Amino acid sequence: MKRRDFLATGAVSTAGMLFFPGNLLAKEAKIENKGRLTKPLPFKMNGEWKEFELYIDIHIHEPAPGFKYHTLAFNGTIPGPEIRVNTGDKVRVKFVNKTDLNHTIHWHGMHVPWRMDGVPFVTQLPVMPNNEFIYEFTAKPEGTHFYHCHWGTLMHMQAGMFGSLIVENPQDPIKERFPYDREYTLVYSSHDTNYVREEMNGMLERMKQRSFLMKNGEFTPEQWSVFDSKEQMQSSIEDGYVPPYLTNRRSNADLPQANWFTVNGKSYPSTPYLFIKENENIRIRLINAGAETHNLHLHGHDFWMVADDGVPLEHPWKRNTVPLAPGKTYDIIVEGTNRGIWTFHDHDVRKVTNNGLYPGGNLLALVYEDLPDDELVITKNSGNPMLNPNAGKGGMTKMDGMDMTSSKEGMKKNMLFGDDKLPKIALDE
Amino acid sequence: MKKILIILFVSIHGIVVSQITPEFQIGAKGVFSGNFNNNSDESNAVADFSDTQLLLSLRQKLYNNWRAQFVLGLQFPDANSNLGQVFYNNIFIRLEDEKNVLKVGRTLAQTILNQFPTLRDDDAQRFVYSLNPFSNGVNTERDQYANVLEYARIIKKKLTVSIHGENFYDNLNPNDFRLNSLGLSIVYRVPESQKWNRNILQEIGVSYNNFFTKSPYTTDDFEASTKNLIFSTTLNLIPHPINFVDFKFQAIHNFGWSEINFLGSYFDYTRAKSTSLFGMIRYMKRKQERPNYQISVGFGYKNMPSLDIISDQYMLITNAFYRIGENFDVGLQYRYLTNNGYTSIFFGRYEHRAQIALVYSFNKIFNKQFGDRYDILNLEHNYIR
Repeated sequence: MKRRDFLATGAVSTAGMLFFPGNLLAKEAKIENKGRLTKPLPFKMNGEWKEFELYIDIHIHEPAPGFKYHTLAFNGTIPGPEIRVNTGDKVRVKFVNKTDLNHTIHWHGMHVPWRMDGVPFVTQLPVMPNNEFIYEFTAKPEGTHFYHCHWGTLMHMQAGMFGSLIVENPQDPIKERFPYDREYTLVYSSHDTNYVREEMNGMLERMKQRSFLMKNGEFTPEQWSVFDSKEQMQSSIEDGYVPPYLTNRRSNADLPQANWFTVNGKSYPSTPYLFIKENENIRIRLINAGAETHNLHLHGHDFWMVADDGVPLEHPWKRNTVPLAPGKTYDIIVEGTNRGIWTFHDHDVRKVTNNGLYPGGNLLALVYEDLPDDELVITKNSGNPMLNPNAGKGGMTKMDGMDMTSSKEGMKKNMLFGDDKLPKIALDE
Repeated sequence: MKKILIILFVSIHGIVVSQITPEFQIGAKGVFSGNFNNNSDESNAVADFSDTQLLLSLRQKLYNNWRAQFVLGLQFPDANSNLGQVFYNNIFIRLEDEKNVLKVGRTLAQTILNQFPTLRDDDAQRFVYSLNPFSNGVNTERDQYANVLEYARIIKKKLTVSIHGENFYDNLNPNDFRLNSLGLSIVYRVPESQKWNRNILQEIGVSYNNFFTKSPYTTDDFEASTKNLIFSTTLNLIPHPINFVDFKFQAIHNFGWSEINFLGSYFDYTRAKSTSLFGMIRYMKRKQERPNYQISVGFGYKNMPSLDIISDQYMLITNAFYRIGENFDVGLQYRYLTNNGYTSIFFGRYEHRAQIALVYSFNKIFNKQFGDRYDILNLEHNYIR
């Protein structure tokens, strides 16, 4: 086995582990990066229906090396696997609830029959523990959409219950105008992991009681705080029922304060890389499945805004920063016009943090995979004359006879923060 | 000395710059009652706020996935307890990981394995605690709390095996802080969060305590020690979320000194052979997932077979609590005690006590950063270090 193959094998077998970005241009980097991208959900054809299966279970998630927390996950991944269909496809999704909590699935941005919209007590009853629900709809409209749980939404969405849903148009006007071969889906979210833990524990404990009562046939509107009408609710209040939002009952006034910010479930330094080549177009589908706005800024480029909430824009326009509000999706096209490694991050830098510490969060990089290795060498391209004697000379290469003394060489080595190579992982700037 | 202080200050100052704010827990219990006593020797009425206490805990993760907790608690004891206005009942530090717990400092000793639904923790003191044989019995805190050194191993999340040494307060040698007790406990306990998952057995355990007493009857140290064995269980009779009934029971056998055949002092009472049985049945009505009211009835019996006259004790206790709001309860409690033989000399022949009480209790962790070992997530979905 060649050394390079061995490295590749190692990278695959340790998928999910931190990849050292010093080898960002190596082919192992792209193999490892697949673990950071959304995974397609396979389907089976049954007549004219595309049949998918989604289940939900409790999962231990590690957004960055060393930090783990309990959360919910569709099919064991955060975000849930990507459902990708064509416009007009008949879609059937069998949803199995393997948790002791209630859930539904809402198809965000999709024009589904209203009884398939996944809003508990409005369009359906919740999917109870160990129950299933089969959603059926025709895939429309085209574009970038997502699905998420609509039960206990404040907690369940930030607890990992979301995934991308892409409806492709075979005659996609965006692809016609900006031909591309590669595309990326980036699902943004924000999480108060302490809130998630406390709420999940509280809900699981309450559900143990409620499931017991339900099995015994002792369901009452007051026990579940679910009423058939306002009159019934008011009558219950007159009989002594106290709504949970009142401060003399259970109300928890502590709204979540997000402390982790993720892209495809991962925080820097585990966030995905966006690989591109010079003169290549890539399409990036941006989805905000969280409750915070992310002002996403790409260094060194302007990109084309080509779709808003999945709707193709008749007149795409250029910008370099986009405010991705909660529930929004945008599609952008990046043209490979400026070779390098460029960060793409939230310019509300409070969200480029992990548990309050910068850098972290939704910091990721656009990487030109055809970037010459030479350009990664710090001392050849640094603007610091201490490191590079040719600094400020318009990119002139180093000339003979300009070697530094050995003492300066030693100091230079100390200033490199390790190898003479970029990029590096910096966790405490 | 000055140099040491300067170095300490510099070190602490350095730490302050980057210190981690811990989780902090505040616990408070206020028990305020009017007691109406009708005893064999006198009748009286007392305004009582004993057992009122405050607890502060600071807890954080260590570098190696262990957790450390510092606890400081104070209690307002009985006025005639000789403990002063305030008794510091909890001053300890605790280190733990998933399977190990180490505790050092003053806290509850393992002289009781159960928690009975009485108004105050010491309402059934003589029946439910393995009594401190070094105490003169003036207060109950010296039976409940000790300076402890305890190691516990947690097996399969619900079984705790602990070995513990204690320094119980010694009225005859108050400045002796050496360990004067050694014990071993094994307890299986279903955590509160899983109560509704409910096998009938909520809790069962045994504890063995060996107090290093000196005996005038023997020079053999083991023979001279006072040995107590506790058995305890809690059964969920009706583990119903709305109409909940449980039964708690504890038995204590004091192997004692068979040479004691009369009670010449309180020390004889705690060192003589005895068997105590105490059980309490509780009905709790829960409304809207919160306790609404609770009614309990308990009965205790203690006999001392080595005494030359029958000297047994009986207790009947019943109470009712009604929740008037989150954290606030009003309560009524009635307790009847009867003492026969030598025990009547110390405690009177009988005692009726009726109490009407207001109770406030609060317990909350602020700045939460990690889960507790008894969270459902950690119990049922793998423990996160």
